[in-house]
Amino acid sequence: MSSETGFDPALYDRFPTKGERPAGELKQLEDIWCKPKGWELLTAVNNNYIGFFYVATAFAFFLLAGVLALVMRVQLALPLMGVLPQETYNQFFTMHGTVMMFLFAVPAMEAMAVLLLPQMLAARDLPFPRLSAYAFWAYAVGGLCFFASLFVGLAPDGGWFMYPPYTSTTYSPGINADFWLLGIGFIEISAIAGAIEIIVGALRTRAPGMTLAKMPIYAWAMLVFGVMIIIGFPSVILCTLLLELERAFNWPFFDATRGGDPLLWQHLFWFFGHPEVYIIFLPASGLVSMVIAAVNRTPLVGHNLIVLAFLATGFISFGVWSHHMFTTGMPTLSVSFFSAASMAVSVPAGIQVFSWIATFAMGRARYNTPTLFLLGGLITFVIGGLTGVMVAMVPFDWQAHDSYFIVAHLHYVLIGGMVFPFFAALYYWTPMTSSRALSERLGKWIFWLMFAGMQVTFLPMHLTGFMGMPRRVYTYLPGRDWDLLNMISTVGAFLFGAGVLLFLIDCARNMRFTTDNDAGNVYRGGTLEWLPTGLYSTRSIPVVKSRYPLWDDPDLPKDVEEGRYFLPNSATGLRETIVTSPLRAEPQYVQIMPGPSPWPLLAAIFTAGFFMILTIQAYYTAFANGVLAIACILRWMWDTDRLVPDKKVDVGAGIMLPTYRTGPGTHGWWAMIILLIVVGMIFTMSVFGYFYLYGIHPQFWIKPPDVTWLVPILLGHGGGAGLAILARYMLARENTELWTPGVLICCAAASLLFGFGVDCWNWTAHGLWPTASGQGAIVYAFQSLQGILVFICVLMAGYLSARNSRALIVCPRNNTMDLVVMFMCYTAVEGIAAALIARLFPGPF
Amino acid sequence: MRAWAYMLGGLIVWTVHFFAIYIAASVFPGLPLGHVLTLLITLACLAADAWLIVRLRVPSGGDDFREWMRKLALVGAGISAISVLWQGLPALIV
Ligand code: HEM
Repeated sequence: MSSETGFDPALYDRFPTKGERPAGELKQLEDIWCKPKGWELLTAVNNNYIGFFYVATAFAFFLLAGVLALVMRVQLALPLMGVLPQETYNQFFTMHGTVMMFLFAVPAMEAMAVLLLPQMLAARDLPFPRLSAYAFWAYAVGGLCFFASLFVGLAPDGGWFMYPPYTSTTYSPGINADFWLLGIGFIEISAIAGAIEIIVGALRTRAPGMTLAKMPIYAWAMLVFGVMIIIGFPSVILCTLLLELERAFNWPFFDATRGGDPLLWQHLFWFFGHPEVYIIFLPASGLVSMVIAAVNRTPLVGHNLIVLAFLATGFISFGVWSHHMFTTGMPTLSVSFFSAASMAVSVPAGIQVFSWIATFAMGRARYNTPTLFLLGGLITFVIGGLTGVMVAMVPFDWQAHDSYFIVAHLHYVLIGGMVFPFFAALYYWTPMTSSRALSERLGKWIFWLMFAGMQVTFLPMHLTGFMGMPRRVYTYLPGRDWDLLNMISTVGAFLFGAGVLLFLIDCARNMRFTTDNDAGNVYRGGTLEWLPTGLYSTRSIPVVKSRYPLWDDPDLPKDVEEGRYFLPNSATGLRETIVTSPLRAEPQYVQIMPGPSPWPLLAAIFTAGFFMILTIQAYYTAFANGVLAIACILRWMWDTDRLVPDKKVDVGAGIMLPTYRTGPGTHGWWAMIILLIVVGMIFTMSVFGYFYLYGIHPQFWIKPPDVTWLVPILLGHGGGAGLAILARYMLARENTELWTPGVLICCAAASLLFGFGVDCWNWTAHGLWPTASGQGAIVYAFQSLQGILVFICVLMAGYLSARNSRALIVCPRNNTMDLVVMFMCYTAVEGIAAALIARLFPGPF
Repeated sequence: MRAWAYMLGGLIVWTVHFFAIYIAASVFPGLPLGHVLTLLITLACLAADAWLIVRLRVPSGGDDFREWMRKLALVGAGISAISVLWQGLPALIV
């Protein structure tokens, strides 16, 4: 067998080890990973807790958005009903859509991953537990504040995709739209934090021997999900930022009368928005693929094809954004490309559906509640998929656009593709976190109520749409033959609601959260999450030899529990897990993990506070919150990246692994690369905006400043990068003075600041202001993005110097130093690219 | 990185193709040049896929995992070829 890292795979044969493990090891593990008590729960960072809180919170948002849906259905049950006035109806459908998409669907999927992934990969926890805690709290606190805007009549009302010019200050003068734009801000941060966690977790904390070929299909789905968030979310981060800049400071990105263009919003939003649908669907599909194999007691048919389908979806879904814009008058050839891609993207979905059907055919399905939800989801999703192919045909879409046909289509896809699989997963995995399984008898009732409710609500909507009823209308006149269909839909919605209510009753009766006394493998799954676990996850980390280790090695649970595999104890006396290589999962080093801390919670509260208070224009208070959030984050980071006394430790069977690593192989390095991809994507999308605006309205553009000004700008940025690299180099030299690296890093930050300052000054001196035109707005958008990066560099320089002064920057290599240098180099490159683009294209014409 | 490029080669070709033809059609809207460029880009990407498929057909001679990667890459390149063709077709018919 070949090796990826030089690790000898023959060493795996030493496991399971023979002989008794020393007494006291288990006790030590339990002490180190002890349960939080009382208020300490708020400081918990362990995935068992955070994952559970996260799933519960996401579910609560599903309920809240569901209540809004029911009220809307009451309003639409009969013509000219007076339950919701027009403005409130607008707020309701906007909040329903936004909460379902941003506060339920995506977070619910991240939440499941936080709960399940470490268990499935047999890691002790995800690689950055405090980041998960931060992501969760920012989402929970911010989400609740966001939802509360509804009670004071300030909820956003521009639809879940907030098209300008309708959402510009001219047509939406109140602060409702700002709530949306800033409210989505912290959700984006939380989603990206979660995605970093998931990608690094799936690639670097798998159990030894679990090559990519043996990785559970769910982990594959989550990996692609994470990457899609990293590529897709930057686009919505950018467009919300631009629209907020337009609303707050009158920078005309989307104002066609001043060289902006409202369609730029649609491009940016849908470049995120359509992949978003797959971002929701892929993890659900991963869940389905896991549960289907278990309930059929047979390996998933077409596992490799499904992996490929996930990957293909990840790619193709970024080529279909414009199919939401078929009616906007794009060039015919472009429209046909998007139409073709939209049809092509149904192929991977088809592969998955056929694989599932084949798995049902191969196995002996037991028709329990998870199976019913799987089948119900499959049928519903296929119907939604078919209407999706219908609307991918441009002439058909011209007719169906913005009608109730679309409302039916999107609910079929979302409920069939995500909600039903989510319920299947809740039934299937509850015994992993609860001391009692959920009730099978009630479960069947719940399924049939929800399934029937779904069909009764949304099937007639296809017809309502064909009969001309537009979406987003708060009422309609009698005599159009829409009355009966709408009444049927409302009855269906209440059936669905009754199913959900019964589910709550089932949870109240049976769900008993536990970390060490769970109901166990009720449905006989074959993957690692069904090993016996405590808060430290599995007692020892097994060597994985197949895709369904529990089916193939019935002794595995016993051996794992007796500590016969990797890390049967705490090798360093701290929380730790094994970091493995990305392809073949060969053990590389022991990662020390941070324990409970109040800082992620506080940082999250202040982050949410910053965004929310900004909305009500209390700028000083918002600013103070921002500063506090940064202070809390820095404080939480302060404890990390420390050396432990033992450089190498025995992780079982005499295999020694280092406890500290630096360079490209480390989990921190990976996280930074992913973060830089996010930042790079934000910049790339703004470059798209730049060329787009020039392409649409060149008449508004003026000549850029003289190119000789590029010299000091490039010198500033290039010098910054050079000094940062020099600092890293100096750290490795033996005779370096203690203070040298810190001082050099500060000089690097100053140099970057200089480059940035000259760039900004040059444009203002040239007479171009951000409010002047689309060009001004987008040029200053470059500057704003660069300003944020330079600000972070200055913070990092201060932080690194502080660590340096406390001798925490250890020679010859140090992770904090490496990451700061990477960030600074990236900042320099982006600064140079922005300066060049804005001056050379379209150039001094 | 090389391993990922190997595994995802076909899908990367598809992505390059999609964005290249999108840019061509947007920069030259309604002009015959847009169509011609689309066809040329499509041919180039099909050639790239064909090259990948020819290379990937030969067993790698490595262990199970290496073979698994090869097969995944091979099917990926096949899917990419079909998608590229499908995606380029509109240039012939609209
Ligand atoms: C049975 C449960 C549900 C019912 C009865 C329901 C009902 C509705 C209604 C009445 C609308 C407004 C239609 C309009 O006026 O145009 C709507 C819109 C929408 N719903 Fe649902 N819904 C349900 C579940 C869901 C779920 C689970 C999701 C997502 C995961 C979702 C996502 C959306 C979105 C994105 C919109 C569009 C909002 C907009 O136009 O801006 N819904 N739904």
